[in-house]
Amino acid sequence: MTNTTGIRNRAGIRSVTMNAPFSFSRTTFVFLLIVWTVALPTTAAESDPSGIEYFEREIRPLFAEHCYACHSATAKAANKLKGGLLLDTPSGIRRGGESGPNVIPGKPAESTLMSALRHDSLQMPPDSKLSDALISKFEHWIQLGAPMPESNDEAMAVRSIDWTEARRDWAFQSPIEHDLPAIKNNAWPVSFLDHFTLSAMESRGLIPNQKASKRELIRRATFDLIGLPPAPEEVDEFLKDDRPEAFAAVIDRLLKSPHYGERWARYWLDLARYADDEGNSFLSPTPNAYLYRDWVIRAFNQDLPYDEFLRLQLAGDEFPLTSNDYQQQWAGLGFQGLGPQFRKGAAGEAKAKADEIEDRVDTLSRGLLGLTVSCARCHDHKFDPIPTRDYYSMAAAYNGAVWSERVLADADSTNQYRAWEQQLQQQRAELDKWIADQGRNFGRRELDRIEEYLIAAWRIRALIRRGQLIDEAVAVEQGNLLGYPLNRLVRSLDPLASRGPLDAWILVADQTELSDKVPDELRIATQSIKDAVVTALRRLETKADATTNGTVVPEPLTEADQKLLTWLWQDGSSPFFIKNKEVPSLLDAQQKSESQTRQTKIEQKLSERPAIPAMPSVSGGGDPLHILVRGNPLQPGEQAPPGFLRVLGGQAEGGTANRFTRRQLADAIASPQNPLTARVFVNRVWHYHFGRGIVATLGNFGRQGTPPTHPELLDTLAVRFVRSGWSVKALHREIMLSATYQLGSQSNERNGSIDPDNHYLWRMNPRRLDIEAWRDALLSVSGRLDPKVGGPTLNQRTPAIKERPEDDFFTYLVGNVLDDPTNSRRTVYSIVSRYSPNPTAGLFDFPEPNVVSEIRNVTTIPQQQLFVLNSPLTIAMAKAFAARLTQSFSTEHDRLNFAWNLAYGRSPTAAEEQLSHDFLSVTPQNAAADQFGPWEQLCHSLLCSNEFAFIP
Amino acid sequence: MQATDRMFSRRQLLSRLGNGTGLLGLAAVLEQEMFAETAPVISRLTNASPLSEKPTHFAPRAKRIIHLWMNGAPSQVDTFDPKPALKQYAGQRPENTVKLKTEFDTGGLLPSPFQFARYGQSGIEISELFPHLAKLADELCVIRSMHTDVPVHESSNWMLFTGSIQPVRPSYGSWLLYGLGTENQNLPGFVVLGEGQPVNGPSNWSSRFLPGIYQGCQVAVPKQYNPRDVIPHLQNSQLSSESQRREVDFIQRLNQMHGSRQGAENAFSARIESLELAFRMQMSAADAFDISQETAATFDMYGLSGSEARLVATVPGQSTVDRTLFGRNCLLARRLVERGVRVVQIYCGRAQPWDTHSRNSQGHRDLCQVVDRPIAGLLQDLKQRGLLDETLILWGGEFGRTPTSQGNDGRDHNHYGFTSWLAGGGVKGGMVYGATDEFGFKAIEKRMHVHDLHATMLHLMGINHEKLTFRYSGRDFRLTDIHGQVAHDILA
Repeated sequence: MTNTTGIRNRAGIRSVTMNAPFSFSRTTFVFLLIVWTVALPTTAAESDPSGIEYFEREIRPLFAEHCYACHSATAKAANKLKGGLLLDTPSGIRRGGESGPNVIPGKPAESTLMSALRHDSLQMPPDSKLSDALISKFEHWIQLGAPMPESNDEAMAVRSIDWTEARRDWAFQSPIEHDLPAIKNNAWPVSFLDHFTLSAMESRGLIPNQKASKRELIRRATFDLIGLPPAPEEVDEFLKDDRPEAFAAVIDRLLKSPHYGERWARYWLDLARYADDEGNSFLSPTPNAYLYRDWVIRAFNQDLPYDEFLRLQLAGDEFPLTSNDYQQQWAGLGFQGLGPQFRKGAAGEAKAKADEIEDRVDTLSRGLLGLTVSCARCHDHKFDPIPTRDYYSMAAAYNGAVWSERVLADADSTNQYRAWEQQLQQQRAELDKWIADQGRNFGRRELDRIEEYLIAAWRIRALIRRGQLIDEAVAVEQGNLLGYPLNRLVRSLDPLASRGPLDAWILVADQTELSDKVPDELRIATQSIKDAVVTALRRLETKADATTNGTVVPEPLTEADQKLLTWLWQDGSSPFFIKNKEVPSLLDAQQKSESQTRQTKIEQKLSERPAIPAMPSVSGGGDPLHILVRGNPLQPGEQAPPGFLRVLGGQAEGGTANRFTRRQLADAIASPQNPLTARVFVNRVWHYHFGRGIVATLGNFGRQGTPPTHPELLDTLAVRFVRSGWSVKALHREIMLSATYQLGSQSNERNGSIDPDNHYLWRMNPRRLDIEAWRDALLSVSGRLDPKVGGPTLNQRTPAIKERPEDDFFTYLVGNVLDDPTNSRRTVYSIVSRYSPNPTAGLFDFPEPNVVSEIRNVTTIPQQQLFVLNSPLTIAMAKAFAARLTQSFSTEHDRLNFAWNLAYGRSPTAAEEQLSHDFLSVTPQNAAADQFGPWEQLCHSLLCSNEFAFIP
Repeated sequence: MQATDRMFSRRQLLSRLGNGTGLLGLAAVLEQEMFAETAPVISRLTNASPLSEKPTHFAPRAKRIIHLWMNGAPSQVDTFDPKPALKQYAGQRPENTVKLKTEFDTGGLLPSPFQFARYGQSGIEISELFPHLAKLADELCVIRSMHTDVPVHESSNWMLFTGSIQPVRPSYGSWLLYGLGTENQNLPGFVVLGEGQPVNGPSNWSSRFLPGIYQGCQVAVPKQYNPRDVIPHLQNSQLSSESQRREVDFIQRLNQMHGSRQGAENAFSARIESLELAFRMQMSAADAFDISQETAATFDMYGLSGSEARLVATVPGQSTVDRTLFGRNCLLARRLVERGVRVVQIYCGRAQPWDTHSRNSQGHRDLCQVVDRPIAGLLQDLKQRGLLDETLILWGGEFGRTPTSQGNDGRDHNHYGFTSWLAGGGVKGGMVYGATDEFGFKAIEKRMHVHDLHATMLHLMGINHEKLTFRYSGRDFRLTDIHGQVAHDILA
């Protein structure tokens, strides 16, 4: 669907509505066949949108609030259903329960519902009768014809998909191992897969390129498997090895390298939308996120079977512990625990929870299944057989789940960690409370000058009405008032804002012309507010005194007093409510010192963190979910039967499961019976070896995706992958030992005219290095690469956050920074921040870490070349590279030879050597001012060149 | 620089580009349209960079575009499309609006709280939200009959920028660069100015299947900046400009040798050209982004003086829009078009500040207060400098907003009808084109789809939108696909 960016609209609901009759794919226009038939009993009332709107706005919330406890699918599941009456589906509402028909459209008097609500017969709700106003709403609605939206009955299969037909689509058929297709040139294939590619080429008149040279091959294989260039001695060794299995030996050596996991883990992390902080509106680092990243690296290095790899990430906590290696068993859960966690504040807990669940469903469905399931959060999938109900059925695996931190250790260590954590939290809470108290006191102090604030607000509002622009800073200069409450006061007084106890004053103020002297009416109105505030404060405070010493007779705080104080001071949005973040700037010297002491204690505590790993994880889940009408968490509809997607064989009709656990989810995905799991993964691996997947849309195998170029090959690879025990390393060998993989990458005009984008693999695509491989190659060639595997990304000495004053105190994470020339760790260990993404990473197409990345863009823009030419990173690397040359060799010829072998894996041609000689020997004018010597420039040039940036 | 000519000729190097499919589509078009001569297509094109200026189909009325995108979608009935009937029917949902489904269910009609008045000799009605722009009413060609396909931001953003609701087509800016090249080879020809990322991010200005060199170049200038630093890594700390030129020539010779071994490859050529562009940008970008050369009067014109410059609009739940950033981007846009940049797009803050599903009135009040003066300043400034005649200004959102209410004071997305306005290069000023129904919900008179807008924009730039094609994957593609009617009525 359209929403690959994961950007939410204002209401936070994914915008996935699409009315297009067709959609464009690169190779063809696909007119969509809707595979399901819609069988809908349609009445006039059902198709009346304003009536439905009335139902949604007025009636359904009443049902939900007052009736669902005993009359819904949830109640039924909990054995609490009363009278056989279901009020969470249109049919249930109409049909009624044991007492007969419940709602008769257009006839309130004859509807059982009405007599029950009026307590004439059944007396519902039983504990308290609804108000007459509410009851009349039901009456009005029944008079309208009791309109209800058709989609509400989705869970009752009003819309029926012909599942047999839907499952006939290639993607939902189990892959089979196909016979080798007939080919003409039988001499060419080396492996089974070459038969499939050659057959596709031959049928289009394409002729495969010549085989790549050995130098190209080892360079290609080394970048592909470990993301680094081959060392010159490795190239030499391969060139000398004449055995037929020489290349296989190279592949095996590379697959055993610990750097293999670093390269392939990063691809997985794109999919897992890995980051070192939470995707929140403020910076919240997760310093131990790296434990998940390192787990993924280890998993690839150990060739953990892919099905097990998935099971541990989805439900490692729900499978029995196989050893006491808690990290091995649980760290993979970061796949879910490290997903975005949204603020549960103003936007509402239900919405945040629904969004978090959607993130998990989206990540695993696009990432592991190649299906855009989350489109169905709000409406039935427009193109694929995924009804809304199925989204909620599957999402049940996450309903009730929490993403809290899990200690990756045994019970004793866990307790020790928890105790430390609790003390830390307590200290933090105390500090927060202390700050909040100071803020409250500041607000209280300023309330004593309420009249000055009101007059200042009046002046500002009058100026704004005159069209003058003014901000609180100006007013503060005038009156020595605090800008923060004043600005909030001005905004609160706006007539478009909600009304409050100052309405009378606003009326006077807005009718009072601006003048230097405060006019009497306004003075009087202001004084009356002042008096009311003083009285209310006195009452509040004597009440407090009375509570403490019991001697003063309390003066009662009236409702009006409370309302006034709430509006002005006590509520989070009140003008005189000083938020915690505003407090530090108001503290006096003594308070500042107090604050500092408390901070220092917290930092001390942080430094005492027990050396026990803990990281955001997942626990629980599996409870049934209600379908949210149009994805809106405030409109729960029918309960969806918990279970897997029906098109993939889940939730058999009439099933009675009342839970769908993550373990069941994991079993349904990591299964040879799942027609998509193996295909989708094999296709991803193929993409990273060829630059294009057999299905080009890696995350969409649905009807909106690109059809496979080699469907039978994809199937055969998938079957063999499963049969190999889901061995990823075996898959690499299978692909890389083929003639297809080993083709030269040179362009060819004739083939290019038939298949310009090389869909049919008549050559290897020359692929530009991604930012990780390019930067790692810079470090490697210049001899600066730190080969250490694993370890923290962020500074573990906390806080791992600093402010950057030059960016308006923008905060950022402290640790391994991608473009810092002193950072010599591999790029996979660089900070990935959702809050402040590294601009260089973005410049070179690093994906957005908030959502599963289907595929990386490859863009070419001048700013990239500015980085290449001028960044401190490339300059530092060029200097190190040049030093390496000059220290190792003394003659120009030897140095050039070494340089070329390091950077390109080959010796320079005669022309290149001559060109270099000319470049090195001519001293340009003004060279004295240059800080870059000739060899440094030459090395820099090699690092900047195209040959360095592309995999041959 | 003599070293350049001796060591390396860019033209030789770029002669390779002619072999790619990239330029043949246009070449064929140009051949057909413009030239009776029989010179081989390739020889003519290979003498030029893919970014050098190219002939138009007919005389252009505008040479450059500045697109002021109010991302999130402003409300037409609160700005440029007065609907008194909303007061009369406030709270009601008349029959003919019931079937108009938008993203969410909306309630009854919500009148605009803003006063409209007639401005200029033309008497165009504009709301009180744009007091400064209203003074320039006679420059505006207000199109009140815009419509698009879907009420979804992502899709409609792509429609507005690429002519497709899917992220699969090149941006119109990329099409224009491909078709026309750019007048200044030392600056990116297609610049996107804004803060953070708008919805869809770079996919709004991607070149997709057109060569990568035609993609938009995003420049997010922070509040405090040094013009030499706006584009990161703009300066080399180690080498004089002459020495660096010499090094770049050396790199390009290496690249050339590499290319001749590997054969023609768009990815290689694009990187080569990109390196050249980067080298030239070092000098010209710093100058283009150096607004310290501007006078106090100019700053004032854009609302960038005094406390006014500190204005910030905050729409609940949305990103802020900051006068300093938006105003300065308007000023930078003038500096860029003045230097021959072909397409400048400005978006109005991170994500989608104009998406006023709630507090629509206050949101519009605040947002318009921030953007009105800079936009008026931009028009005025271009006019004073004689640039307005050949610069096309486009203002608008990806769609509009409903005249019906969402919640108390919110307006939902509305793709059935909305307002955009054009000004400058080749359009009639002081004109209202098209109309929506009596409530401002649906465009009914002289309906103008986004495809029609694109066709008209290309026409104004001297391009026949049906003839600017690119052969890809076995067929010819164009910006307007199979759609698009030029709105001849609005041409000056």
